[in-house]
Amino acid sequence: MSVDATPPGWAEVLLRAFLTAGDSDSVSGDLLEQYRESVRPARGRRRADLWYVKEVLGFVWRSARLWAAVFAVAFLARTALDWLVPPADFHARANVSTLLGAGIVLLAGFWAASRSGSFVAGPVIGVATAAIAAPIEVMGAATLLAGWHDPITMAAIRGSGGLEEVLTLPLLLVLPGIVLGTLGGLLGAAVKRLRSA
Amino acid sequence: MAEVLGSFEQAVLLAIVRLREGAYGRAILKEVQERMERDVAAGAVHATLVRLERKSLITSSLGPGTPIRGGRARRFYRLQPVGLRALNDARAAVDDLWRGLEWPLKGYA
Repeated sequence: MSVDATPPGWAEVLLRAFLTAGDSDSVSGDLLEQYRESVRPARGRRRADLWYVKEVLGFVWRSARLWAAVFAVAFLARTALDWLVPPADFHARANVSTLLGAGIVLLAGFWAASRSGSFVAGPVIGVATAAIAAPIEVMGAATLLAGWHDPITMAAIRGSGGLEEVLTLPLLLVLPGIVLGTLGGLLGAAVKRLRSA
Repeated sequence: MAEVLGSFEQAVLLAIVRLREGAYGRAILKEVQERMERDVAAGAVHATLVRLERKSLITSSLGPGTPIRGGRARRFYRLQPVGLRALNDARAAVDDLWRGLEWPLKGYA
Protein backbone atom coordinates (compact mmCIF):
# COMPACT_ATOMS: atom_id res chain seq x y z
CA MET A 1 0.00 0.00 0.00
CA SER A 2 1.52 3.33 -1.06
CA VAL A 3 0.23 6.82 -0.40
CA ASP A 4 2.32 8.07 -3.35
CA ALA A 5 0.82 5.89 -6.08
CA THR A 6 -1.31 7.95 -8.42
CA PRO A 7 -3.71 7.00 -11.19
CA PRO A 8 -3.40 8.69 -14.63
CA GLY A 9 -3.82 12.44 -14.17
CA TRP A 10 -5.97 12.87 -17.30
CA ALA A 11 -8.40 10.23 -16.03
CA GLU A 12 -8.79 12.09 -12.76
CA VAL A 13 -9.47 15.34 -14.63
CA LEU A 14 -12.11 13.47 -16.65
CA LEU A 15 -13.65 12.00 -13.50
CA ARG A 16 -13.94 15.40 -11.84
CA ALA A 17 -15.49 16.81 -15.03
CA PHE A 18 -18.42 14.45 -14.52
CA LEU A 19 -18.96 15.10 -10.81
CA THR A 20 -20.74 17.96 -9.12
CA ALA A 21 -18.57 20.28 -7.04
CA GLY A 22 -20.00 18.72 -3.85
CA ASP A 23 -19.01 15.18 -4.90
CA SER A 24 -15.72 15.93 -6.65
CA ASP A 25 -13.42 15.43 -3.65
CA SER A 26 -15.32 12.65 -1.92
CA VAL A 27 -15.81 10.44 -5.00
CA SER A 28 -12.31 10.99 -6.42
CA GLY A 29 -11.01 10.29 -2.89
CA ASP A 30 -12.98 7.03 -2.73
CA LEU A 31 -11.49 5.89 -6.03
CA LEU A 32 -7.99 6.98 -5.04
CA GLU A 33 -8.32 5.10 -1.74
CA GLN A 34 -9.38 1.92 -3.54
CA TYR A 35 -6.63 2.37 -6.14
CA ARG A 36 -3.92 2.75 -3.50
CA GLU A 37 -5.22 0.34 -0.88
CA SER A 38 -6.33 -2.68 -2.87
CA VAL A 39 -6.13 -2.42 -6.68
CA ARG A 40 -2.54 -1.23 -7.20
CA PRO A 41 -0.94 -3.66 -4.69
CA ALA A 42 -2.92 -6.58 -6.14
CA ARG A 43 -2.69 -5.83 -9.87
CA GLY A 44 0.39 -3.70 -10.44
CA ARG A 45 0.58 -0.27 -12.01
CA ARG A 46 -0.60 -0.95 -15.56
CA ARG A 47 -3.64 -3.02 -14.69
CA ALA A 48 -4.51 -0.71 -11.80
CA ASP A 49 -4.44 2.26 -14.20
CA LEU A 50 -6.70 0.34 -16.58
CA TRP A 51 -9.09 -0.38 -13.71
CA TYR A 52 -9.14 3.31 -12.80
CA VAL A 53 -9.85 4.38 -16.40
CA LYS A 54 -12.65 1.80 -16.61
CA GLU A 55 -14.23 3.16 -13.43
CA VAL A 56 -14.02 6.72 -14.77
CA LEU A 57 -15.60 5.64 -18.07
CA GLY A 58 -18.42 4.18 -15.99
CA PHE A 59 -19.18 7.69 -14.71
CA VAL A 60 -19.08 9.05 -18.28
CA TRP A 61 -21.38 6.25 -19.48
CA ARG A 62 -23.92 6.96 -16.73
CA SER A 63 -23.96 10.64 -17.63
CA ALA A 64 -24.22 10.12 -21.39
CA ARG A 65 -26.59 7.16 -21.75
CA LEU A 66 -29.84 9.07 -21.35
CA TRP A 67 -28.74 11.72 -23.86
CA ALA A 68 -27.64 8.95 -26.22
CA ALA A 69 -31.06 7.29 -25.93
CA VAL A 70 -32.83 10.58 -26.72
CA PHE A 71 -30.46 11.19 -29.64
CA ALA A 72 -31.02 7.67 -31.01
CA VAL A 73 -34.81 7.96 -30.68
CA ALA A 74 -34.74 11.28 -32.59
CA PHE A 75 -32.59 9.71 -35.32
CA LEU A 76 -34.83 6.65 -35.61
CA ALA A 77 -38.00 8.76 -35.66
CA ARG A 78 -36.51 10.75 -38.54
CA THR A 79 -35.60 7.53 -40.35
CA ALA A 80 -39.04 5.99 -39.79
CA LEU A 81 -40.80 9.11 -41.03
CA ASP A 82 -38.55 9.30 -44.12
CA TRP A 83 -39.23 5.67 -44.97
CA LEU A 84 -42.87 5.25 -44.01
CA VAL A 85 -44.37 8.74 -44.41
CA PRO A 86 -41.97 10.45 -46.84
CA PRO A 87 -42.20 14.24 -46.51
CA ALA A 88 -42.97 16.34 -49.57
CA ASP A 89 -40.01 18.59 -48.78
CA PHE A 90 -36.87 16.72 -47.61
CA HIS A 91 -34.99 19.99 -47.23
CA ALA A 92 -37.31 21.26 -44.49
CA ARG A 93 -37.27 17.86 -42.78
CA ALA A 94 -33.48 17.75 -42.93
CA ASN A 95 -33.25 21.20 -41.33
CA VAL A 96 -35.58 20.22 -38.49
CA SER A 97 -33.85 16.88 -37.77
CA THR A 98 -30.36 18.42 -37.96
CA LEU A 99 -31.33 21.19 -35.56
CA LEU A 100 -32.94 18.68 -33.21
CA GLY A 101 -29.87 16.41 -33.18
CA ALA A 102 -27.51 19.35 -32.73
CA GLY A 103 -29.70 20.72 -29.95
CA ILE A 104 -29.63 17.42 -28.05
CA VAL A 105 -25.80 17.21 -28.12
CA LEU A 106 -25.43 20.92 -27.31
CA LEU A 107 -27.76 20.51 -24.35
CA ALA A 108 -25.90 17.39 -23.18
CA GLY A 109 -22.60 19.33 -23.20
CA PHE A 110 -24.20 22.27 -21.43
CA TRP A 111 -25.79 20.04 -18.78
CA ALA A 112 -22.63 18.06 -18.05
CA ALA A 113 -20.38 21.12 -17.84
CA SER A 114 -22.83 23.16 -15.77
CA ARG A 115 -22.86 20.39 -13.12
CA SER A 116 -19.10 20.24 -12.66
CA GLY A 117 -18.01 23.64 -13.95
CA SER A 118 -15.50 21.93 -16.25
CA PHE A 119 -15.90 22.47 -20.00
CA VAL A 120 -14.02 19.18 -20.54
CA ALA A 121 -17.29 17.39 -19.83
CA GLY A 122 -18.76 18.97 -22.99
CA PRO A 123 -16.68 17.38 -25.76
CA VAL A 124 -16.50 14.08 -23.88
CA ILE A 125 -20.26 13.79 -23.43
CA GLY A 126 -20.68 14.92 -27.06
CA VAL A 127 -18.54 12.05 -28.31
CA ALA A 128 -20.03 9.59 -25.84
CA THR A 129 -23.59 10.54 -26.80
CA ALA A 130 -22.94 10.06 -30.52
CA ALA A 131 -20.87 6.90 -29.98
CA ILE A 132 -23.38 5.21 -27.66
CA ALA A 133 -26.27 6.20 -29.94
CA ALA A 134 -24.59 4.94 -33.14
CA PRO A 135 -25.10 1.18 -32.67
CA ILE A 136 -28.67 1.77 -31.42
CA GLU A 137 -29.41 3.81 -34.55
CA VAL A 138 -27.88 1.25 -36.91
CA MET A 139 -29.67 -1.66 -35.23
CA GLY A 140 -32.92 0.30 -35.14
CA ALA A 141 -32.67 1.10 -38.84
CA ALA A 142 -31.89 -2.55 -39.62
CA THR A 143 -34.97 -3.59 -37.60
CA LEU A 144 -37.12 -1.10 -39.50
CA LEU A 145 -35.77 -2.47 -42.78
CA ALA A 146 -36.50 -6.04 -41.69
CA GLY A 147 -40.12 -5.08 -41.04
CA TRP A 148 -40.73 -2.81 -44.00
CA HIS A 149 -38.98 -3.65 -47.29
CA ASP A 150 -41.86 -3.54 -49.79
CA PRO A 151 -41.21 -1.75 -53.10
CA ILE A 152 -42.92 1.50 -51.95
CA THR A 153 -40.79 1.69 -48.80
CA MET A 154 -37.62 0.81 -50.74
CA ALA A 155 -38.39 3.65 -53.15
CA ALA A 156 -38.89 6.00 -50.17
CA ILE A 157 -35.55 4.86 -48.72
CA ARG A 158 -33.78 5.59 -52.01
CA GLY A 159 -35.51 8.98 -52.21
CA SER A 160 -34.41 9.97 -48.69
CA GLY A 161 -30.69 9.44 -49.23
CA GLY A 162 -30.52 5.67 -49.38
CA LEU A 163 -29.58 2.93 -46.95
CA GLU A 164 -25.95 3.94 -47.04
CA GLU A 165 -26.72 7.29 -45.43
CA VAL A 166 -28.74 5.75 -42.62
CA LEU A 167 -26.06 3.17 -41.84
CA THR A 168 -23.01 5.47 -42.04
CA LEU A 169 -24.39 8.76 -40.71
CA PRO A 170 -24.44 7.57 -37.05
CA LEU A 171 -20.67 6.97 -37.20
CA LEU A 172 -20.00 10.29 -38.93
CA LEU A 173 -21.94 12.14 -36.22
CA VAL A 174 -19.16 11.51 -33.69
CA LEU A 175 -17.12 14.43 -35.09
CA PRO A 176 -19.90 17.03 -34.90
CA GLY A 177 -20.56 15.57 -31.46
CA ILE A 178 -17.14 16.84 -30.31
CA VAL A 179 -17.74 20.31 -31.73
CA LEU A 180 -21.29 20.72 -30.42
CA GLY A 181 -20.41 19.15 -27.08
CA THR A 182 -17.50 21.58 -26.74
CA LEU A 183 -19.78 24.53 -27.48
CA GLY A 184 -22.32 23.32 -24.95
CA GLY A 185 -19.53 22.63 -22.48
CA LEU A 186 -18.08 26.13 -22.80
CA LEU A 187 -21.54 27.63 -22.26
CA GLY A 188 -22.29 25.33 -19.32
CA ALA A 189 -18.96 26.03 -17.61
CA ALA A 190 -19.43 29.78 -18.11
CA VAL A 191 -22.94 29.67 -16.63
CA LYS A 192 -21.66 27.63 -13.66
CA ARG A 193 -18.91 30.18 -13.05
CA LEU A 194 -21.35 33.11 -13.29
CA ARG A 195 -23.66 31.41 -10.80
CA SER A 196 -20.80 30.74 -8.38
CA ALA A 197 -19.42 34.29 -8.62
CA MET B 1 -47.19 5.13 0.31
CA ALA B 2 -43.58 4.20 1.00
CA GLU B 3 -40.92 4.16 -1.68
CA VAL B 4 -40.64 0.94 -3.72
CA LEU B 5 -37.00 -0.13 -3.72
CA GLY B 6 -35.08 -2.00 -6.38
CA SER B 7 -32.74 -4.80 -5.27
CA PHE B 8 -29.59 -2.70 -5.79
CA GLU B 9 -31.10 0.15 -3.79
CA GLN B 10 -31.83 -2.33 -0.99
CA ALA B 11 -28.22 -3.58 -1.13
CA VAL B 12 -26.89 -0.02 -0.78
CA LEU B 13 -29.30 0.87 2.04
CA LEU B 14 -28.51 -2.34 3.91
CA ALA B 15 -24.80 -1.59 3.57
CA ILE B 16 -25.44 1.79 5.20
CA VAL B 17 -27.36 0.04 8.00
CA ARG B 18 -24.53 -2.45 8.58
CA LEU B 19 -21.73 0.12 8.45
CA ARG B 20 -23.48 2.55 10.84
CA GLU B 21 -21.10 5.47 11.55
CA GLY B 22 -18.58 4.20 8.99
CA ALA B 23 -20.88 4.37 5.96
CA TYR B 24 -18.93 6.37 3.39
CA GLY B 25 -18.59 5.79 -0.37
CA ARG B 26 -15.70 3.34 -0.51
CA ALA B 27 -16.89 1.32 2.52
CA ILE B 28 -20.40 1.07 1.06
CA LEU B 29 -19.01 -0.10 -2.29
CA LYS B 30 -16.89 -2.77 -0.56
CA GLU B 31 -19.83 -3.97 1.54
CA VAL B 32 -22.15 -4.16 -1.50
CA GLN B 33 -19.52 -6.08 -3.49
CA GLU B 34 -19.00 -8.58 -0.67
CA ARG B 35 -22.73 -9.14 -0.12
CA MET B 36 -23.56 -9.41 -3.82
CA GLU B 37 -20.43 -11.46 -4.50
CA ARG B 38 -19.61 -9.59 -7.68
CA ASP B 39 -17.71 -6.58 -8.96
CA VAL B 40 -19.73 -3.40 -8.74
CA ALA B 41 -18.73 -0.13 -10.41
CA ALA B 42 -18.14 2.83 -8.11
CA GLY B 43 -20.31 4.88 -10.50
CA ALA B 44 -23.27 2.56 -9.96
CA VAL B 45 -23.09 2.94 -6.18
CA HIS B 46 -22.58 6.70 -6.45
CA ALA B 47 -25.57 7.11 -8.79
CA THR B 48 -27.71 5.07 -6.38
CA LEU B 49 -26.60 7.10 -3.37
CA VAL B 50 -27.43 10.34 -5.20
CA ARG B 51 -30.87 8.97 -6.12
CA LEU B 52 -31.60 7.75 -2.58
CA GLU B 53 -30.57 11.10 -1.14
CA ARG B 54 -32.78 12.92 -3.64
CA LYS B 55 -35.69 10.75 -2.45
CA SER B 56 -34.79 11.69 1.16
CA LEU B 57 -34.20 8.06 2.15
CA ILE B 58 -30.69 8.98 3.31
CA THR B 59 -28.75 12.12 4.17
CA SER B 60 -25.03 12.79 3.86
CA SER B 61 -22.35 14.94 5.40
CA LEU B 62 -18.66 15.45 4.73
CA GLY B 63 -16.02 14.11 7.11
CA PRO B 64 -12.24 14.37 7.25
CA GLY B 65 -10.03 12.68 4.69
CA THR B 66 -7.09 10.36 5.29
CA PRO B 67 -3.57 10.29 3.80
CA ILE B 68 -4.42 7.26 1.61
CA ARG B 69 -7.13 9.37 -0.08
CA GLY B 70 -4.77 12.30 -0.53
CA GLY B 71 -6.56 14.08 2.31
CA ARG B 72 -9.79 14.30 0.34
CA ALA B 73 -13.01 14.48 2.33
CA ARG B 74 -15.22 11.43 2.86
CA ARG B 75 -18.98 11.68 2.40
CA PHE B 76 -20.78 9.77 5.16
CA TYR B 77 -24.35 8.56 4.69
CA ARG B 78 -27.10 8.04 7.26
CA LEU B 79 -30.39 6.23 6.91
CA GLN B 80 -33.50 8.36 7.45
CA PRO B 81 -36.85 7.18 8.87
CA VAL B 82 -38.32 7.12 5.34
CA GLY B 83 -35.45 4.87 4.24
CA LEU B 84 -35.93 2.56 7.21
CA ARG B 85 -39.66 2.26 6.41
CA ALA B 86 -38.89 1.56 2.75
CA LEU B 87 -36.47 -1.23 3.73
CA ASN B 88 -38.99 -2.78 6.13
CA ASP B 89 -41.70 -2.59 3.45
CA ALA B 90 -39.39 -4.24 0.90
CA ARG B 91 -38.69 -7.10 3.29
CA ALA B 92 -42.38 -7.46 4.17
CA ALA B 93 -43.31 -7.60 0.47
CA VAL B 94 -40.88 -10.49 -0.12
CA ASP B 95 -42.11 -12.28 3.03
CA ASP B 96 -45.71 -11.92 1.78
CA LEU B 97 -44.78 -13.49 -1.55
CA TRP B 98 -43.16 -16.47 0.20
CA ARG B 99 -45.81 -16.99 2.88
CA GLY B 100 -46.98 -20.63 2.97
CA LEU B 101 -44.00 -21.93 1.00
CA GLU B 102 -41.01 -23.68 2.46
CA TRP B 103 -37.52 -22.55 1.40
CA PRO B 104 -35.67 -23.98 -0.47
CA LEU B 105 -38.45 -24.97 -2.88
CA LYS B 106 -38.55 -28.69 -3.67
CA GLY B 107 -40.75 -30.83 -5.87
CA TYR B 108 -42.58 -28.07 -7.79
CA ALA B 109 -40.70 -28.42 -11.05
